[in-house]
Amino acid sequence: MTARTSTDDDGRTDGEQTDDGQRGGRQPAVEVDGLSHAFDDLDVLGDVSFSLSPGTVACVVGPNGSGKTTLLRAVADLLEPDAGDVSVGSGDGRRVGYLAQQSAFRGQFTVAETVSFYGALVPGPVDTDAILERVGLSAVADRRVDALSGGMRRLLGIAQTMVGDPSVFVLDEPANGLDPTMARRLRTVIGDIAAGGGTVLLSTHDLHAVDRLADTVLLVDHGELVATGPPAELLAEADASTLDAAIETLGYGGGTAGVAPGLHGGARQ
Amino acid sequence: MTEVRPLLDVAERELRTVVRTPTLMLAGVGYVLLVGGIGWLGGTGAYLGLVLDLLTPVEVLVPVLSFAFGYRAVLGDRESGELATIRTYPVDGYWYVLGVYLGRAVAVVALVLLGLAAAGLVVPLTGQPQLSVIASHATVDSVALYLRYVLATTLFVLVVLAIALLVSAAARSTRGGLALATGAVVALAVGLDGALLGALTGEGVATGAPASLLALSPNSAYRSLVFELSVAPTGVVVPDGPTALLSMVALCAWVVVPLALASRLAWR
Repeated sequence: MTARTSTDDDGRTDGEQTDDGQRGGRQPAVEVDGLSHAFDDLDVLGDVSFSLSPGTVACVVGPNGSGKTTLLRAVADLLEPDAGDVSVGSGDGRRVGYLAQQSAFRGQFTVAETVSFYGALVPGPVDTDAILERVGLSAVADRRVDALSGGMRRLLGIAQTMVGDPSVFVLDEPANGLDPTMARRLRTVIGDIAAGGGTVLLSTHDLHAVDRLADTVLLVDHGELVATGPPAELLAEADASTLDAAIETLGYGGGTAGVAPGLHGGARQ
Repeated sequence: MTEVRPLLDVAERELRTVVRTPTLMLAGVGYVLLVGGIGWLGGTGAYLGLVLDLLTPVEVLVPVLSFAFGYRAVLGDRESGELATIRTYPVDGYWYVLGVYLGRAVAVVALVLLGLAAAGLVVPLTGQPQLSVIASHATVDSVALYLRYVLATTLFVLVVLAIALLVSAAARSTRGGLALATGAVVALAVGLDGALLGALTGEGVATGAPASLLALSPNSAYRSLVFELSVAPTGVVVPDGPTALLSMVALCAWVVVPLALASRLAWR
């Protein structure tokens, strides 16, 4: 299935399917067209298309091995797809802020040193203090990374994505291992990014977070985009009262992806 | 970004990482003590004798030290996810690899020079030269011979570190990196030399090959360079081998080619 999602000028998704991914004359922040990829003879993504307007928070949801990480890596320009086009942001500076699923930083450095290092890789000055303030890590700026909790390290990863003021943020399971307090802080940070005009594309298994955060949901199963739209629209389409039930109806039951119809072998991330 | 700034920032990060990693610092101190100890225990009282005493141990110790410092440099970033993160910044792969190389090279070269300096002090500080081995050439022994040896050794360090970085960029797991690094050290210290010597002595496939072929092996090129720069000027007969110029060109190629390959592999 090829689906497109667009958002209006307020950055809210209306779920209307469009052909050009643009609305109100605004360029989409992310445009993915016919994206397909395979690892050797293992097809992982098949003809995925969508576009996101600036200020959108899009949550990629799907079972383990459904191709979420591959999709995110392609959008972050870390993977050359076998077919299709990915267009993200514009300009000469950093276009995508990327948080890997397994993201760690050198333990010998402090929080501030880590952000400063990344700041040195982009043109122009970077306000390390302001970035740490935004993610709530100012108090531990001088603490070594190896002395941080898992949640704080994740927030440091989010801080790193902000360096260079990218217009698009690709976050691979950002809430992984976060306690409820940290997860709440993370949602606030992501909301702030979107409110500032940033486009966030994140993968998650946390449907409560999807419900609270997502302007649009991209439901991926067996490497294909099987449903897309704002949570309310998915609920209506599936005639369900919860996202969990809607996703069960529309795409997958939450299990691990098996062999994809029309794809060779199983799909993996 | 086409500026040199990312290179220097990556280099600084590498240097700080090395300095703040106790195991690497311990390995470095061990190397300095070992090389210094070899120099002092040898007690030849002459620079030429010192060079000959140090040549073989350093030929083995430098690859071990360089691989210890280099084999995880790129691999560690790959495994932690930082390499993927860095790739989303406007930094080219070759700047990243050159920065990593530069930062690690500063540390390894500093340690190697420290070790050689510690060993080199034996000559001016020992009062009674023991020149039994090279008595007939004592008049031409000078600190210049030792400085040339130090220069050649520095070039050798840069070569081995470049190869270590290539291994680090090619490896996809710690276990794989360790296996590749071990294989590379053995190949450098024994394999390539053995194959080339076999060829030159008629035991290999290229029977009768010219001695300049030894330049193909980093260790042989280094050894030949030391012989040409630090031993031959004293009148001591040295084995046939490539000229100093050829050895230097070969060693420079052994720096450039692995780094170019590492740049390509790191960004894949």
